[in-house]
Amino acid sequence: MNENFLKNILLVVGAVLMVLVCLFPFIWMIIISFTKDATFLGSPYVSFEFTLDNYRTVLSDPTLHFMDYFRNSLIIATVVTVVTVMISAFGAYAVSRVRFRGRLIVPVFVLGVSMFPQISLVGYLFKFIEELGWINTYKALFFPYVAWTLPLALWILLSYFAQLPKDLDEAALIDGASRIQTLYKVILPLSAPALFSTALLVFIAAFNEFMFALLFTTDYRARTVPVGIALFQGVHGEVPWGNIMAASAISTIPLVILALIFQKYIVSGLTAGALKGE
Amino acid sequence: MGGVKYTEEKFAYGMLFPMLAFVVLFIIVPVLGTFWVSLHRDVTFIQGFKFVGLNNYITVLGKREFWYSLFVTVSFSLVSVTLETLLGLAFALILNEGIRGRGILRAIVLIPWAVPTIISARTWELMYNYSYGLFNWMLSAVGLSGVNWLGTPLSAFFAVVLADVWKTTPFMTLLLLAGLQAIPGDTYEAAIIDGASMFQRFRHITLPLLKPVLIVAVTLRTIDALRVFDIIYVLTGGGPGGATTSVSLMAFNYYNLGDYGIGSAISILTFLTVLSFTVVYLRVGRFQEGLK
Repeated sequence: MNENFLKNILLVVGAVLMVLVCLFPFIWMIIISFTKDATFLGSPYVSFEFTLDNYRTVLSDPTLHFMDYFRNSLIIATVVTVVTVMISAFGAYAVSRVRFRGRLIVPVFVLGVSMFPQISLVGYLFKFIEELGWINTYKALFFPYVAWTLPLALWILLSYFAQLPKDLDEAALIDGASRIQTLYKVILPLSAPALFSTALLVFIAAFNEFMFALLFTTDYRARTVPVGIALFQGVHGEVPWGNIMAASAISTIPLVILALIFQKYIVSGLTAGALKGE
Repeated sequence: MGGVKYTEEKFAYGMLFPMLAFVVLFIIVPVLGTFWVSLHRDVTFIQGFKFVGLNNYITVLGKREFWYSLFVTVSFSLVSVTLETLLGLAFALILNEGIRGRGILRAIVLIPWAVPTIISARTWELMYNYSYGLFNWMLSAVGLSGVNWLGTPLSAFFAVVLADVWKTTPFMTLLLLAGLQAIPGDTYEAAIIDGASMFQRFRHITLPLLKPVLIVAVTLRTIDALRVFDIIYVLTGGGPGGATTSVSLMAFNYYNLGDYGIGSAISILTFLTVLSFTVVYLRVGRFQEGLK
């Protein structure tokens, strides 16, 4: 009785703290995005004044290029997601269903690759991309992003495909379906939740990426939101925090909504992908 | 029969080809390239280069600056991963209880993870600001004077750690929650009948059974933390005075100076650091497994 009481107190206090810890920087971002004169030449806390100006500026001022960055991010992340999920589904299907030499090396190889620090690629990759004339194009980010997100995607799909009973595709094969048909008509429809969670995780990873985008783009043509926001500067040297936070809120809220709506998929994806590593 | 096997094999390689092509062309080749560059001097790609063997590595290993950023990186990883493991475990334990609104709570915990790293770094940068940041405003509200959070080596280090812990705890929480949910409930019921207290149950049932998941989670997070770049680049730029310069950032700075040989050598050393931590963690994990 006494112990239960103690436990409940701990739980409630813990849950409240947890919510506060998780939310407060996010809420702060939203508050500042609605604060007038948030370059803070004076203290904003004495005179908090509600305004939509920050949003108006960020959405309409063409010299800030925020809408360009946002569009670039959405296009690149979407294309990367589609391609990565497709390619990793092929790979995962081959590894989990087909017997071939080197079958067990592939996942270990791909997982090992994910251990490379990004910095150990960029020195050379930059030269590579530059020589191809890809700087400031979507290609400069598309190819490295697909390569970079493949290990995660392969790992999630592999652990999911491995759970599906092998009889399913064997039955389809005996009925005369080809391997490709089996994948499209049997495995993929059954894997919708895994494909979905993989897609979300890849999308968020691609939207989040910074180092490649920082190095392989120099202007608004292919620059993404994280680089845009990292390099956001005021004209007169002061930091336009109101604008930065409005831009941050616009870019973050879609991701947060995605995360909230599809949290079950994200949870199962993250945990499946990671726990299979045992 | 052999024909079928051959077809199957050919099919599998065909299915794997796009994936391997991407990985080889855009990861393996660049890493090998970086290694190759690290063996050369004056690799500005314009002036040409000269093979210097391991000289760049000797130069880097002789730099105080390198050992200092290695120290910064390793301390960052240890402190950050420890804090987020403790916090993540606490969150996971809360979420694992049948409290009301568990679904909403689990969704809220995901928010820091969904905020892009750069955006969270800038938000923390604003909160740490000396003259109008949230933290100093709270201090002044209770009559204390402000702290120059990003201005002194120690406070800047912890400022970066805190921002990183905020961002990455959800990942830890989810992994540990999955681990907790895999523990069968009757194990606890038996312990309750035997009169074990809440803390005894945690110590003697939860922790040991969670150990495999803990080791995987800590390994994954450590691999990531040792490569830290984004959050430091935005929050402190590596300062003040190099106090928060991670090895990745140090390599990046050399690339920026056009010194590709040294930058590449540091990059490869960063990879070797990650690799050695992973090997040690996996060894320790298996070792404990064997003791059971």
